[in-house]
Amino acid sequence: MSRPDEIAAPTPAAAAPVGVAASRRLRSFPETLAIWLVLVVLLVVAGALSEAFLRPVYLGNIIRQAAPIGIAAVGVTFVMILGGVDLSIGATISLGAVLCAAAMNGDPANIAPAVALACLAAGAIGALNGILIAVTGVSPFILTLGTAITLYGVTQLVTGGTAHGIIAPGFREVFNVRIGGILPTLGLAFLVVAAAGATVQHVTTFGRRLYLIGSNPAAARLAGLPVRRTVILAYTLSGLLGGLGGIALLARSGVSGSLAASGYEFDVLAAVVLGGTTFEGGRGGIGGTVAGVLILFVAFNLVNVIGLNYHAQLVVKGAVIIVASAIYRRLRDAGSS
Amino acid sequence: MTAGRTAGRLAVAAAGPPILWVTVVLVGVAAALLPGFFSADNLANVLRQSAVLALLAIGQTFVVVAGMMDLSVGMLATLVLVLAADLMDGRAEATLAAVGLAAAVGIGVGALTGVLNNLLRINSLILTLGTLTILQGVTFIYTDQSLGAPSPAIAWLANGDVLGLPPSFLLVVLLVALAHLALHHTRFGVHLAAVGGAPQSARQAGIPVGRVQLAAFVISGLSAGLAGLVLLGRLGTGYPNAGIGLELDAIVAVVLGGTALAGGRGSVIGSVAAAVVLGIVSNMLNLLEVSSFVQMVIKGLVVIMVILIGQVRPERAA
Repeated sequence: MSRPDEIAAPTPAAAAPVGVAASRRLRSFPETLAIWLVLVVLLVVAGALSEAFLRPVYLGNIIRQAAPIGIAAVGVTFVMILGGVDLSIGATISLGAVLCAAAMNGDPANIAPAVALACLAAGAIGALNGILIAVTGVSPFILTLGTAITLYGVTQLVTGGTAHGIIAPGFREVFNVRIGGILPTLGLAFLVVAAAGATVQHVTTFGRRLYLIGSNPAAARLAGLPVRRTVILAYTLSGLLGGLGGIALLARSGVSGSLAASGYEFDVLAAVVLGGTTFEGGRGGIGGTVAGVLILFVAFNLVNVIGLNYHAQLVVKGAVIIVASAIYRRLRDAGSS
Repeated sequence: MTAGRTAGRLAVAAAGPPILWVTVVLVGVAAALLPGFFSADNLANVLRQSAVLALLAIGQTFVVVAGMMDLSVGMLATLVLVLAADLMDGRAEATLAAVGLAAAVGIGVGALTGVLNNLLRINSLILTLGTLTILQGVTFIYTDQSLGAPSPAIAWLANGDVLGLPPSFLLVVLLVALAHLALHHTRFGVHLAAVGGAPQSARQAGIPVGRVQLAAFVISGLSAGLAGLVLLGRLGTGYPNAGIGLELDAIVAVVLGGTALAGGRGSVIGSVAAAVVLGIVSNMLNLLEVSSFVQMVIKGLVVIMVILIGQVRPERAA
């Protein structure tokens, strides 16, 4: 049960995979519904405790806050449906933010090339992760951990260890305009990325292959699915969305500290797992991940509004991670018996 | 598969993978070319610097062999460090109480993790990510700035020497010997490997899976408690950010040392050797006056390379 990184060994059941995987996907639907229910309940509780949560502007702000982690979590969801994991996501977010700020260098004319550079670099890192994992069969957990250490070093080299690069005028403003006076552009960007991710997951062949490979890699290989190509594409998307998450972080905070997103890998993993995607692969999806991200950030804000400090927020966050995972486990056991 | 080959393979598993020892030799040769590396002082320094990671890696090996992971050890060590520093506050007579406290907190948190693992049956990675976050919160609620100081005995444990060797490293050697025996020469060790390698079969064979996993978390907690004390001795103060990230370093050491992340087999000797290799690499880079940023890049690349080379094995047929 605790094999987060290894591809499952071939089992006798390998012979009848497709129908099983399909029915598993159908069964995962009530799970996704359950996580949204949890979010609604949490919002009702929050609204009862503080009127702030009833104000659309405040809710729009929560979505804006969640954007960097949320955008990155979409990519990591793909990787985890596949049965992999991407621990380099926090380092990729950091590098994306730092590269974007450094390339922008205070000039509005540089905004587009800077964004392109950050995406390109982050996508390349993801592709490299994917190629190494697909070709050598190395454990994704330990490989992406190695990538993370390397990238944090590279990021610090770029910045010299301090805040670095100047944001061009207009960059933050564009992202913080409130559409209809409610939802900041940055929040909208998160929702757009999530919608795009959900479309890829539901509509494309790539999306279906993720589930088939994740639930039974040996059968997928025997069935002639392009396992390597799918793995490489999934990690490339994870890297690319990590880069976008870094740009979102820059837009949100306006500063690019060299370790801006260190530790974010854990937040991203927590959000994805809360959303019902497991380390074992083959289940879950973007819809659940979005709910997972929002639950984490509503919970943080609630703790804040109640008047507890950041330290207490950590305790609540840890408890939310454990309790929500345990509830899922129950739901899943009930659903599969 | 013949019995001889099996025995041979088990012996290899117990001593760590060949790639690790190749790395040890290479790093040793490279280090020998550096003036100043082979001085007795510097060698003792390397061991002193490696002790904390080595202690964490010993405990983590048990958890990984059982097919799980314990991400909480870095923050657990930090909590122990802060509590022990506050308790001792430099007083010699409080040493024993601090050691007791470290053991109690380590074992207690490890047992709690094990019980939650058995009750909730959620992935160990996500469970200990939760406990890591809670422990960090608790540590920061206790103090958000450095406080207290180690007693002279704890400072000596981390910084002193016995016949030229650091006491903390002698402790590591003692614990490695015990852990090696437990892992490879006891029924518990066999059960641990069975639980990690084939949990379903282990359960059907009547092995108390829950109890074995609980024991692994308790061992990991205890080693984190001891690591917290040694880290306190090195730092000289109860710094609440001291152990952040150590959990991932420990897992790196365990994997470099030849323990499979999938569980089922492992080597404490390998884990500790890997921790020392990482210590030697950073010591060499320090002697070469390489900046800490470049050191991080090199460390990451070393991890990736060793892992990838170790991956290319004839056994990898599936």
